[in-house]
Amino acid sequence: MTLVMVVDDDQDLAEMLGIVLTGAGIDVDLVSRGDEVLEVFRNNPPDLILLDVMLPGLDGIEVCKLIRAESMVPIVMLSAKGDTHDVVRGLEAGADDYMVKPFRHPSELIARIRTRLRRTNADVLGLLSIGDLSIDVTGHEVSRGEKKIALTRLEFDLLVALAKEPGRVFTRDALLGEVWGYRHSTDTRLVNVHVQRLRSKVEHDPEHPEIVMTVRGVGYKAGVMGGS
Amino acid sequence: MNRFTTRLRTSLASKVITSTVLFSLGVVWLTGSALYSQLSDGVKEVNLESSLAEAQSSFFSAQYQFLLTESAATPVITKAVQEVIISSTEVSLSQDRKSIFLNRFGRPFKNTLKVATPDYSTSTDGLDVSSFPDEIRKKVRSSDLVEYEYAKVRYQDREDANVLIIGRKIVIPKSGNYEMYLVYSLNNQNRTLSIITNALSFTGFALIFLIGLITWLVVRQVVKPVREAASIAQKFTQGDFSQRMKVESSDEIATLGRAFNDMALSLESQISRLENLSRVQQRFVSDVSHELRTPLTTLRMASEVIYGQRDSFDPTIARSSELLVAQLDRFERLLEDLLEVSRFDAEVAILEPVDFDLISLIERCIEDVRTSSHDHVISITIDHEVEQVMISADMRRVERIMRNLLSNALDHAEEKPINVTVISTRTEVAVGVRDYGAGIEPAALSRVFDRFWRADPSRSRVRGGTGLGLSIALEDARLHNGELDAWGLPGEGAHFVLTLPRIAGQQIGGRPIRLQPENYPQNI
Repeated sequence: MTLVMVVDDDQDLAEMLGIVLTGAGIDVDLVSRGDEVLEVFRNNPPDLILLDVMLPGLDGIEVCKLIRAESMVPIVMLSAKGDTHDVVRGLEAGADDYMVKPFRHPSELIARIRTRLRRTNADVLGLLSIGDLSIDVTGHEVSRGEKKIALTRLEFDLLVALAKEPGRVFTRDALLGEVWGYRHSTDTRLVNVHVQRLRSKVEHDPEHPEIVMTVRGVGYKAGVMGGS
Repeated sequence: MNRFTTRLRTSLASKVITSTVLFSLGVVWLTGSALYSQLSDGVKEVNLESSLAEAQSSFFSAQYQFLLTESAATPVITKAVQEVIISSTEVSLSQDRKSIFLNRFGRPFKNTLKVATPDYSTSTDGLDVSSFPDEIRKKVRSSDLVEYEYAKVRYQDREDANVLIIGRKIVIPKSGNYEMYLVYSLNNQNRTLSIITNALSFTGFALIFLIGLITWLVVRQVVKPVREAASIAQKFTQGDFSQRMKVESSDEIATLGRAFNDMALSLESQISRLENLSRVQQRFVSDVSHELRTPLTTLRMASEVIYGQRDSFDPTIARSSELLVAQLDRFERLLEDLLEVSRFDAEVAILEPVDFDLISLIERCIEDVRTSSHDHVISITIDHEVEQVMISADMRRVERIMRNLLSNALDHAEEKPINVTVISTRTEVAVGVRDYGAGIEPAALSRVFDRFWRADPSRSRVRGGTGLGLSIALEDARLHNGELDAWGLPGEGAHFVLTLPRIAGQQIGGRPIRLQPENYPQNI
């Protein structure tokens, strides 16, 4: 059974989330304070964390940073603010995805959670390469030579999505569909922030990317093998 | 000259200095002329008196000489005449040159000897006798007194000169009656007068210059604070309320400065109070919207759960759950729109431009609006000249504008088709959304973008829009430096035209799509 940790200080909303998720066949662990998250997380590691931004005890963004420091577990932020600033802050703190309250449909929330839990590239197996990186899709590992690079699941998925079709230019919309499972979304901030994060981990020089290349006015594509 | 008149019109200092200089020029001119005429009269009088006295004595000594030689022989008389000529033309140190003119008139005296009567008529210095005025000669001939006149005479070997002519009738024995003239050059007198003229005009000009300078200095003292006040007021207009005037004394200018500073202080505090007020209000709206979101989320999820089970309910409860979901939807849209409006009001709406294809965005919007609408019968067509129009704009906002325009058109289309036109130029792109439905009253055109305004309050709300859609669309367009215009005629439908710069933030140079549809006269 999948376990999702729901961190929200609003008891009613947390309970309602519990009802909806349980109804979808997902186990729920409810936490109401930010400073309790880490302890619960260590005792009973969940498969995914639904994290509210405004929390008593410790801010959601801080909690996100703390968890990222020790785990690559998927994190979906819940925010009452749709303002770019907060969204970008949450994503930069390490969240994979975010949802702005109120959600359009509970089913949307469940779909997002399932996307984050699913192996998005189940169709790809074996080894891939992008630039001077080699990707072991099956083993979920990325390495440059002997050196292993730790990526979150989302970052891994993003990299694989680009690597499995070298030469194809992905628009931001296409990546949103491919990696995040969104259909009609125009939220390019999500893609931009994660590409930045991914670059900071895999590029020699994030200012002059060679792995995840920008195609001006269109989107991104995989860097050529060994090339610049 | 043009620049000077402009300066005169725009600068108080130039105006004051110019008028002061002009007035003092007049005054100096008048006093200078009066002074000059008095001085020159005096000089001339003194000169005349001394010349007359001297001439008087010359005449007297000549008469005396000739009286002595009355009975003498001709050579003696001739010698006496020569002496008279010499002594009369002798000049003192202070005098300029002097000429003499001697001329016999009337009949010569009878001679007892058989020799011709001698004529002593002569002139010295090459004096051209013909240039002598007739008037004085007549006077001299007919009277026994000393006569004088100012005249201009000619000399043979030098320039014409202004002279004083003093003449008298003289009798030379054994010769006849003579007119004797002493011609005094006025060179000295003229030189004196010209020195006076020079001195006077120099003083005059110096005076005017000094007056101008003083005026400038004085005016500057007054104008400087005024200029300072003007420049500070200018800065106020630009929103900088920190500027203050310098107050250094306790005169009227300082009073002006203090009054100005007081005004600035009160303005600044009022504006900051208003700013604070609007910030607090905006903050409140934003907080309310945010605080409403959490319970709304719970509500929505709960209603969805209930709605999901509606098949097992009795029909009234099932319908109630449907209404609940629909109304929560509307409530949420209203909340979103309110929050967006509060962002525009607080001027914190941020433009996030990306490059995208406008045509595919519009096609997607049409698709979405069509599927979510209940009026599947309405056809929406799109005309565009090119396959792709790449623009740099805030995709979320442009999408919202298009959705608002399309759903507004659907609301009022009355089941008639809707036509979307896209025309792009090098610098801007325009999207026209035309419906042929109810249309808009001309008087209402200016209000269609007002918040919560409805064309016809009695009309039922088909789609349950928030009433903020068009107003937000207009704000979205303007945030891009674009425009949103509306046209409509009752019964003829409406035409909304969105014009955006190809690159967000640049200016739009024109309107590629005419607001007024082709087949309607311009003046309606």
